[in-house]
Amino acid sequence: MTLPIKRISLTLMLILLFISTAIVVTAQDEVARADTVIFDIDDSAIPNPTNFNWMVPGTRRNTGAHQALWEPLFILNYETGQIDPWLGVSFTPNEAQDVWTLKLREGIKWSDGEAFNADDVVFTINLLLGDETATLAEAANMQQWIESVEKIDDLTVQFNLKAPNPRFQLDYFSVRIWGGVVILPEHIWAGQDPFTFTFFDLEKGWPVGTGPYRLVSSTTTETIWDRRDDWWGAETGWMPLPEPLRLIWVITGAEENKALLMSDGQLDSAMDMTLGAFEAVQAQNPNVIAWYDDLPYAWPDPCARQLSLNNAVPPWDNKDLRKAVSLIIDRNQIVEVAYEGTSVPSKTMFVQYGAMSPYIDAIVGAGMGINPEADVAAGQALIEGAGYTRNADGFYEKDGEVLAVDIISDETGIEYTRIVNVVVEQLRAAGIEATARPVASATWIDARTTGNFSGVFDWEACGSINEPWNSMNRYTNHWVRPLGERTPGDNNFVRWNTENTAKYTEIVDQIGVLPLGDPQIVDMVVEAYRYMYEETPIIPLTQAKKLVPFDTTYWTGWPSAENNYNHPATWWQSTHQIIHNLRHAQ
Amino acid sequence: MASTNTDHPIETPFELARAETARKPKRMGRLNRWDTPWFNSKLITGVVIIGLILLIGILGRLFWNADLAYTASSPLNLPPVGFVNTRGQAGTWEHPLGTENSGRDMLALMIVGAPNSFMVGVIAATVGMSVGIILGFSAGFLGGRVDDVIRLLSDVSITIPALMVLIVIQALLKQIELTTMALLIALFAWPSPTRLIRGQVLSMRESGYVLMAKLSGASSFDIMFKEILPNLLPYLAASFIGNTTGAILAAIGLEVLGLGPQRVPTLGGTIYFAIEGAALLRNMWWWWGLPTLTLAIMFIGLLLINLGLDEIANPRLRQASQ
Repeated sequence: MTLPIKRISLTLMLILLFISTAIVVTAQDEVARADTVIFDIDDSAIPNPTNFNWMVPGTRRNTGAHQALWEPLFILNYETGQIDPWLGVSFTPNEAQDVWTLKLREGIKWSDGEAFNADDVVFTINLLLGDETATLAEAANMQQWIESVEKIDDLTVQFNLKAPNPRFQLDYFSVRIWGGVVILPEHIWAGQDPFTFTFFDLEKGWPVGTGPYRLVSSTTTETIWDRRDDWWGAETGWMPLPEPLRLIWVITGAEENKALLMSDGQLDSAMDMTLGAFEAVQAQNPNVIAWYDDLPYAWPDPCARQLSLNNAVPPWDNKDLRKAVSLIIDRNQIVEVAYEGTSVPSKTMFVQYGAMSPYIDAIVGAGMGINPEADVAAGQALIEGAGYTRNADGFYEKDGEVLAVDIISDETGIEYTRIVNVVVEQLRAAGIEATARPVASATWIDARTTGNFSGVFDWEACGSINEPWNSMNRYTNHWVRPLGERTPGDNNFVRWNTENTAKYTEIVDQIGVLPLGDPQIVDMVVEAYRYMYEETPIIPLTQAKKLVPFDTTYWTGWPSAENNYNHPATWWQSTHQIIHNLRHAQ
Repeated sequence: MASTNTDHPIETPFELARAETARKPKRMGRLNRWDTPWFNSKLITGVVIIGLILLIGILGRLFWNADLAYTASSPLNLPPVGFVNTRGQAGTWEHPLGTENSGRDMLALMIVGAPNSFMVGVIAATVGMSVGIILGFSAGFLGGRVDDVIRLLSDVSITIPALMVLIVIQALLKQIELTTMALLIALFAWPSPTRLIRGQVLSMRESGYVLMAKLSGASSFDIMFKEILPNLLPYLAASFIGNTTGAILAAIGLEVLGLGPQRVPTLGGTIYFAIEGAALLRNMWWWWGLPTLTLAIMFIGLLLINLGLDEIANPRLRQASQ
């Protein structure tokens, strides 16, 4: 009797396994491809796929959470220059610009049916203000500016600032770049430890958000979001439901993978692609489009690329050596080789958008613009002036120490590796023993914020779009921390902290309280920039590009230079706009 | 002191070889210097192939600028001479095998990269074999506790998934140089030769010539390395080649995953950059094809050497192939 029982058990187990597999497959397949939008995201893996606490360093929020679930208060429109309202309808300052009043839209509901109101906003801001470590995302920014926050009524919140800030709405609540402060549901977060609460329990419907999608599954390589037909926006008549029934963010890995998937119609949006791969994809799938129909195809990303040397650790604490590196780098060659001509060299630390031209032109006019061509001889003269001589291997050496820099970069983007490889060759040819080390994103971030690096490829001057203060503020001495401690918000992680930094900080702080567009600002920027130019705490390299391909086989309405309702960065929180603009192709 | 006693049962392939030689007096035996198992066509072909690859690596640097193997040294994406790329650009004699998307010249990459990849294999195999010889001989000849400990260590080590551990170690290391990578691979290259050599030594330990040496008062070291080792040379050589192939494969595996040296040109590294740069999709066949072809030729060469050495070590195989 034992054998038949075993056989029956085995058969039953196999049947159960088959049924459970079928259920899973059915659950995955119940939404047709034509109703699904598949986005690619650059990374090797999602490190904590079941942690939706966006404030904790190391968690990801751009695998759909802040594009489909957590709606922003406002969205900066890069094309119109206006701030588009979303959960908020207005955010207005008093005359002194130190009291800001936020008005929320009526009828907003969380995905669990609770009302979204001023209590949630006040709770979130107070939680960030209460973080004594200032390491939670946005905590440092909130603490820098906000004295107190108070609820006026269910739809009105008043922010009392420590000092006038004309950019308060733009910088922190308008998806100026990538994302901003995400409002938390007080009814769930109250009483939770903001450092350890994961905000994840699919059975309870967590993570909760106000967006029209709910999380279905989250793994280290993929997150799936399904449309929620009881979305408040449709119920209140503000906006119809978005057309896609399912959104998927998937880590595709190497460019070859994303290119093949897109050629085959299995990927609707790729995060970035090299020119050659894009052309190859377009040759195989003519439905693939980009921001421009023709060269350079790419959209100019607001985060200019730079090389950061550790200002707090020898030998790169020597400003002459940092200047030498800047002189040795041939930025034209970086553009030609790493970008295949789809970007341009940086003239200053700023993004070269039209609205930034007055400041960039003034800096260049004052003789502080960066020469895109290398001046190797001048760079070598500075190195030799610092007491270095060439050794038998051709590298500079002083007191037995070779002048070396190990440049770490994020391994997830081929753009980063290619730029660093070019820089490494240029530095080596000039006598600096440079090496490239692509590392995992978390390692790269951890190394730079704690100061455990000699060189980093990054874009941490990122911030300014239409005014100069935001980027400049990131290199003031307010953010300097000892080596080993994390720098708040990744600001001034190079630890530039000299007398010049103090003078620079004083001017930048003054700029910070002036109204946007104040005519004094241009001269003040030039004055402050001079202190930076003299010491070269960071080495601007090139402007960034994002060649973001979209497949129109299943979906139309993607942003482009012609259909420019906003920019095409599908990894930003502004993607809510893109999703609402998508239409079935057939 | 080798034994000449042929009365004891034939126990090893080398004694078989000796016996076979003894059976062929009519073919002049050793008097004919060309009648030696070392003149093996497979072995010679393999040596010629590997020699050519290394020769190209050595002489190529004299005739071609090896600096072109580095980033930003040449125009981008050029096809080999006689071909046209997807943008309609034709190949030029300045870069006869074409270039890739970061401006590295493919000919320079092959000249520098092939010997580099081979060198990793040789270093790893040398270290692994050396450790394997010492431990294998010690375990097989000395026996007892020494044998127990070495056998246990090698049996445990052989079950560790080397590639997985190597991936973790490589990812943790700040900078990977070729020698670092070779030494890391060598960490996992010793257990297999240790076990195999131990087995051979165990079978030889009771041979007449070994017993004779013992009776003559030779030390254990002398018996192991002066008496037994020379008889194992063809076998060790074959094993060394097998180990080299395995080490090259391990290195290529790491390099293709992007865990090899970032800057030093290698064949696996070139394939990694080709994958990263969507070479297949861009129809840049020369980018991934040339390193793959070179690797294939290198492995064929090593395989032929291995087969040749096997035949030298084992007369039965030689007879079968004849």
